[in-house]
Amino acid sequence: MRAGFILKEIGQGLSRNASMVVSVILVTFISLTFVGAASLLQLQIGQMKNYWYDRAQVAVYMCTDVSPSEPCPQGEASADLKAAVEERLKSPTLQAYIEKFYFENHDQAYQTFQDQFEGNAVAKYVTPEQLNETFWVNLKDATKSQIITESFSGVAGVEEVRDQRTYLDQIFSILNAASIAAIAIASLMLVSAALLISTTIRLSAFSRRRELGIMRLVGASNFYIQLPFILEGVVAATIGSILAGGAVIAIVQFFVQGYLAQQLPFTSFVGLADGLLVVPILVGAGVLLSAVASGLAIRRYLKI
Amino acid sequence: MISIANVTKQYKGSVKPALDNVSLEIEKGEFVFLVGASGSGKSSLMRLMLREDIPSKGSVHVLGENLVGIPSRRVPYFRRKLGVVFQDFRLLTNKTVAQNVAFSLEVIGKSQGFIQEAVPDVLRLVGLEGKENRLPTELSGGEQQRVALARAIVNKPSILLADEPTGNLDPTTSQEIMALIERINLAGTTVIMATHDRNIVDRLQKRVVELNGGVIIRDQQGAGYQKAQTGANQIVEGGFFN
Repeated sequence: MRAGFILKEIGQGLSRNASMVVSVILVTFISLTFVGAASLLQLQIGQMKNYWYDRAQVAVYMCTDVSPSEPCPQGEASADLKAAVEERLKSPTLQAYIEKFYFENHDQAYQTFQDQFEGNAVAKYVTPEQLNETFWVNLKDATKSQIITESFSGVAGVEEVRDQRTYLDQIFSILNAASIAAIAIASLMLVSAALLISTTIRLSAFSRRRELGIMRLVGASNFYIQLPFILEGVVAATIGSILAGGAVIAIVQFFVQGYLAQQLPFTSFVGLADGLLVVPILVGAGVLLSAVASGLAIRRYLKI
Repeated sequence: MISIANVTKQYKGSVKPALDNVSLEIEKGEFVFLVGASGSGKSSLMRLMLREDIPSKGSVHVLGENLVGIPSRRVPYFRRKLGVVFQDFRLLTNKTVAQNVAFSLEVIGKSQGFIQEAVPDVLRLVGLEGKENRLPTELSGGEQQRVALARAIVNKPSILLADEPTGNLDPTTSQEIMALIERINLAGTTVIMATHDRNIVDRLQKRVVELNGGVIIRDQQGAGYQKAQTGANQIVEGGFFN
């Protein structure tokens, strides 16, 4: 095997149908950028889940005077009822699951509410008595919130038990849908990239059919005949996937870290390390896709 | 060397077979003309010997290889033992004479050292000394066919298949090319040549295999283009082995 000969053949092939090669580069670039963005979004969702699930609490809301009468026939939960709930939270059975809990009274809840809705009209109308007194429970394992919910639902003086994760799950499912959409678009584009690669390779083989005919006639091995074509596709797709890798790094560096992280300082975002994790996957996918596509194309075109 | 037994070749979509129960044996060093009208099966027969095609029925053995059962990855290595020339020369117009010959060695992985020795040698042999750096378009038809012959024999094949090599050449040039092919044959290479050129066949008086409608109607040593009218010729049809 003479590398010089192979390289010369690849160079000729690439320059002979330059416009097709450019389109292969662009299509792999765009499609793999989508793949990269979708992967980053998945990493971001994972990161946010870790971050927020650790902080998610289960709230045991106690009855107030304005609570509906269905769970709270007695109105405001009395001190006895609150003590009963606290007693239960301290019981050994539940302590096994609870990391810590604390009680928030009307005034504290009001203060928190005022902080959260500062400047919002609703903050003016709400009074401390309207806000629930709450036992905030941090679980050792956030997925076991069911235990608390079951223990306190229907208990006298408890209006509602709410796992904060249910709010988070909605946000995550929206983000998840977005990343699935990106992956769907990416796979469509990858299919078109694969078809484009095989068309390009076929065109390249057609423009070199005289050489190919002679190569077959004088007994060049299949490998020797096919390798330049396969490498031609791989070279084009590699350029495209490296560009996609660059785009992913740029998105992380300039959009996520440079813009989003500044705008939302309390959220943890994917960083350059995550970006660098995605790049080799993109290049690997690009190389594999193009090798398979051009290999199949040339094999079907060149029957011995 | 070449042994074709009871071969039938039926192409898809045609009713009549291109070759119909053909048997033929060719020994080492022979010079065989394949003659017959267009469509008589000459080219189909040559394609089978090159393993460009496989027969619908029967067996083809060339240089000890069973070409019906040979795995496709071994076909290239088989073809290296054969040289082929065509009526239309099939040269690469963007390469010089020397590059055209060198190309056929490059693609089978020969070393640069071997190529640098073999190419000038073979070009001298075919009488193209001093024209190494010409492009095919700057050469006459006869010279182009010499390049094609050089390319076919540079790897010292045991068999030379020539499909109407003089079809595009004038009579004088044809004679020069035939002289060259005879020299190649005298050096020990088996030559199988399909032709329509009556003069050449008559003049050389070699073995002649005549095909008609996919059937061998004559297989005769030291013969001319057409069957002599004396009736003394040995006619072998189909059952050459029987």
